[in-house]
Amino acid sequence: MTEFRSRLSGNLPQVGWRHLAYLLVALALLVFVGYFIAYNIYAISLFQFPFDYDQGEGFELMDTVLFSRGEWPYLNNDSYPFYSSNYPPVFHLVIVPLIWIFGPKYWTGRLVAYLGTLITAAVIGYAVQRESKRWWLSTLAGLAFLASNYVYHVGPLFRQHMFMVMFETVAVVLLTATINAEETTGKKDNRRLLLVMILLLLAGYTKQLAYATVAAVFTFLFLRQSKRAILWAIAFAGVTGIIFLLINLSTNGQWLTNTVTANINPYIPSQGIGLLRQWFKLHTILILLASALALYQLYFERLSAYAIWFVFAAANGLTSGKWGAGESYFATAIAASCILAGIAIGRGLSWSERRGERWFAIALTVVAMLFLIQANKVFHWPTHTPLLEKVATTLGKPKETFVAPQTSCSLPREVVAIPYIDSAGVGLIGRPPNAEDTAAGVTISQLISEGDSASFGEDAGFNFYLGRDIITNPTQLLNLYNNGQVDLTEMSAMLENQEFDTVVLRAQFYPPPILEIIGRQYLTRHLVEMNGFVYCILTPKDLGE
Amino acid sequence: MITKRQMGLSLAAGGLFATFAILAVDMLKAGNFAGIGPMQQIALTGAGILLLTGLTLIPLGNRPA
Repeated sequence: MTEFRSRLSGNLPQVGWRHLAYLLVALALLVFVGYFIAYNIYAISLFQFPFDYDQGEGFELMDTVLFSRGEWPYLNNDSYPFYSSNYPPVFHLVIVPLIWIFGPKYWTGRLVAYLGTLITAAVIGYAVQRESKRWWLSTLAGLAFLASNYVYHVGPLFRQHMFMVMFETVAVVLLTATINAEETTGKKDNRRLLLVMILLLLAGYTKQLAYATVAAVFTFLFLRQSKRAILWAIAFAGVTGIIFLLINLSTNGQWLTNTVTANINPYIPSQGIGLLRQWFKLHTILILLASALALYQLYFERLSAYAIWFVFAAANGLTSGKWGAGESYFATAIAASCILAGIAIGRGLSWSERRGERWFAIALTVVAMLFLIQANKVFHWPTHTPLLEKVATTLGKPKETFVAPQTSCSLPREVVAIPYIDSAGVGLIGRPPNAEDTAAGVTISQLISEGDSASFGEDAGFNFYLGRDIITNPTQLLNLYNNGQVDLTEMSAMLENQEFDTVVLRAQFYPPPILEIIGRQYLTRHLVEMNGFVYCILTPKDLGE
Repeated sequence: MITKRQMGLSLAAGGLFATFAILAVDMLKAGNFAGIGPMQQIALTGAGILLLTGLTLIPLGNRPA
């Protein structure tokens, strides 16, 4: 009896600690599931919103519509409707079947982008599970990706960036699995490597930024199998180049002009450094764990594809300083860091398990605390319902953010409270659009419908709503203008002659000569606020105005 | 298969070359030297990291990279 009691009392504290540790892990899981719920609330609100939420969504829809008609969206911007795409085609081509069935709807691309982020999260989880064999850790790694402020903001938008990240993630994970299998069995698997190359090709032809992942993959391959890497690189470059040339020939050179030349923008160092700092501040735990494992592999092991990918993606994040770029440029690095951090934690737990029960309990507690600290760093939460508000206040967070509506074409407005909190800072992206925003979009569309022409405007959504032409892609025009690649003569003449019944401005991204003509020939008649932005609706000036 | 030493030598050489190239941009503009701007600072930092990392890998010898 004494021996039994002695054994039990010796074991009880250790069993208790492990249970406590797993309770903390359960809490961490609950928190990240909470973020996943918030992500879905945001996504579902976006699916129901029929206008542009983020600048540029309407133009991605337009690209998809053109593809659905069998037409290239890489067009001459000199002539009406002065429209062209500046992005490669894959994302839009995937959405085309939905356009055929449902018509030009914003939710189609938003749904596909959203599903892409879920696939990315699942693949991250799979990558961690392959190494750690701990389902809760794999789940946390995948959910940590979706919990990132950056992924939340952009994930369910009609934008192609996250779809690129999906292809990149799948490619790198498949590459790792392929090379591991080859090194285990001693047999080359060129079919699977071909699939990796196809995924990289798809990533690059979704968005050009995937070059960093392409470089990482071939660097890894070169370190492991130099000759093979060179041969595959030549083939990959050849195929990429042939596709590029074919598209360029088919579009009479507009593909090169619009996807390459127009993307040469000024670099703003303070923007790049600022976003780098913010990325680190929000994702500290993931970045430190990923960096630690990468450094360990650099000096004490063989470098994994994940480590090389993380370094390349993080360095590439500095290109977020380019005009027009933003936080989403770090999304690939976030995906890589989630995988590496998950693997690092898995290894740490395995090491502690070998040392004994107490070590494992301590390690598990530390891991849970790290995830909870990471969760606190990326706090973002809509608070537009009493329950959501209660969650925020219970956690000691504010229930609203104060931000002034953004305007470039009217007098500044007073700050207003918006029901959305975000540790990334005060901004207008992330708050789920609501019925008021939809009503505002309908109002703007009704104002446009009082005229006969399509509106000359910065959002395509209103013309889509009315079934009118989509005119201009303002940021594309500005980029082309800055690179001397667009002739504004016809556009200027149409504006001088007041051939557009309405002009709708939000950020005034148009080239300066166009804005000058608009200022002379048009007058602001209405101001409508939608999604925290002030839209200026202008109509032609009458004589004497 | 590339070794740690080979990788180290490549990184160190790349970092050194990049450092000289970045500074040479200013040297070629002799007379108009306006200091090392923020973009050059970023690039020099990156080049320095490459160089240092490369140098620390060289002693690791023939271990696979």
